[in-house]
Amino acid sequence: MSPLSLELGLGLLGLVLLLVESFASVPRKLIAYAAIGGLLAALAVIVSGAAGSVPDSLKEFYVVDPLALFYKGFAIIATLATIILSLEYAPIIHQFVATHPERTKEAGLGEFYSLPLFVCVGMMVMASAVDLITIFVALELVTVSFYVLVAFMRRSAASLEAGVKYLILGALSTGLLVYGMSWLYGMTGELSLSGVAYKLAHWEGNSAPILFAVGLMLAGLAFKVGAVPFHIWIPDVYQGAPTPVTAFLSVGSKAAGFVVLTRIVGTFLTPGSVVAGPVIQILLILGGATILLGNLAAIAQTNFKRLLGYSSIAHAGYLLVALACIHTGGLKMTSGEVAAFYLATYLPMTFVCFLILSAMRAKGYGEDIASLKGLGRANPTLGLALAIALASLAGLPLTAGFMGKFFVIFATVLEGYYTYLAIAVIGAATGFFYYFKVILAVYSKPDGPSEGPTPDLGLLSKVSLAVFVAAILVVGVYPDLIRFALVK
Amino acid sequence: MVTLNHYLLVSGLLFSIGLVGVVVRRNILTIYMCLEMMLSAANLTLVAFSRFRLVEGLPDYNAQALVFFTITVAAAEVAVGLAIIVALFRARQSVDITAVEKLKG
Repeated sequence: MSPLSLELGLGLLGLVLLLVESFASVPRKLIAYAAIGGLLAALAVIVSGAAGSVPDSLKEFYVVDPLALFYKGFAIIATLATIILSLEYAPIIHQFVATHPERTKEAGLGEFYSLPLFVCVGMMVMASAVDLITIFVALELVTVSFYVLVAFMRRSAASLEAGVKYLILGALSTGLLVYGMSWLYGMTGELSLSGVAYKLAHWEGNSAPILFAVGLMLAGLAFKVGAVPFHIWIPDVYQGAPTPVTAFLSVGSKAAGFVVLTRIVGTFLTPGSVVAGPVIQILLILGGATILLGNLAAIAQTNFKRLLGYSSIAHAGYLLVALACIHTGGLKMTSGEVAAFYLATYLPMTFVCFLILSAMRAKGYGEDIASLKGLGRANPTLGLALAIALASLAGLPLTAGFMGKFFVIFATVLEGYYTYLAIAVIGAATGFFYYFKVILAVYSKPDGPSEGPTPDLGLLSKVSLAVFVAAILVVGVYPDLIRFALVK
Repeated sequence: MVTLNHYLLVSGLLFSIGLVGVVVRRNILTIYMCLEMMLSAANLTLVAFSRFRLVEGLPDYNAQALVFFTITVAAAEVAVGLAIIVALFRARQSVDITAVEKLKG
């Protein structure tokens, strides 16, 4: 099978589904099921190892290595979970898109189910891209699709506001990234990462222009992953965007940013590179500040989505520190693989939180932490799942989140970065405080005298919830499950 | 004689004007124009570098390929961006930055 056929197939499926939604009056749920079917088929191809390899003439632009395959699978699973979440959230979307919500039934839902496919295609291409042009186009495919998704609920003031903020800061980060790329090209004369790496390793003369280019590119990418001081958009956008999109942003968009960062930082840190020292310093300082600010700002939050936004900032900090630790031989993983492992543990716990949040929202509950009160009694299964996911986000031992943090902390020890070890531990300890505040809310009595409707999930969501919770617990005990997928 | 440095100076100015505009302007449409200016600055840099890097007497066209992709992506971004800004105007009757200050904390 030719390497790009998966991406092309999914992109085509997305276009066909958009046409179907425009010209045929099928139930919108069928569109979602078709998208889920297509994604499952693509996932089967990747897991079975039939994705094939690239001809040598394309190796400058596009590689299919274990890391690329891992991130492709990651993108597909995240998209699947997003579409399942969207099915759960459909009533709210309809309410805020339709001109006359009471007269129509499924306004705008078809587009909402098919747009994630384009994001998925972008992320899959990005996982393989090793050329500045390919990286740029794939990154923009993801970003522009996300502009539409974030602002999708056009009758909701919050969604529109989030959309405008994401639009302006996203475009700003694109501008920084492209200007950085243009200077990198101007200095090295190369657009492929391997060519750039070679030039950096054999650089003679003034390194200031290269540092300028590298700094701009890192700033642009720091926006995409939400690192301090470029994190300001995250809390607002996470709070305002439709919940499935928030989940997709926090997992998918973050993973997309980090796969590009992994490739680009790998290029900058190539042995003998003239910018290796400054790049490691930039990553460590950004990462340390991100861990501290993300965790400390999360303490004061009362909105659950906003809290998860700050939590996602904090997690980005751990990932940045992981990328800076390049001597990770003792872990038998490269720094990029430590980051990939961390993201893989981050996916299930985030989606569990957002699934339950969607279910609550669809039953008319608010998104504040206080509205979670009584969930443990009203629906014990959902309460327990949420508690496990939160414990894992905090990094409680025997959960997946602990293993992710453990590898990052171990990597800092191997490198001897004891300051950042301390910051990571302080951050994790703070995390326990605010995550357990939410768990406490889940298991406390509701404020109101009467109990509201019991939140519940559809069959597909129940299955994915079970799979994600199982993944959190199994990976927490047996991390090699993910490591084998990574280190073949 | 116009050298590479002249082009880089102009593109650097263009980029700085765009960046400052994004930070200080209050009108979302103006901010959006400034963002487009930053992309144009990047394009100018790329074309200048490409024109002055001769490979066998011809400019290095790889960078100019990136320029075409940037132009296309910028167009897509404008199409989506203006649609969002129009939706905002319909909801708020304003495209001032103060219209989007509800989410805080």
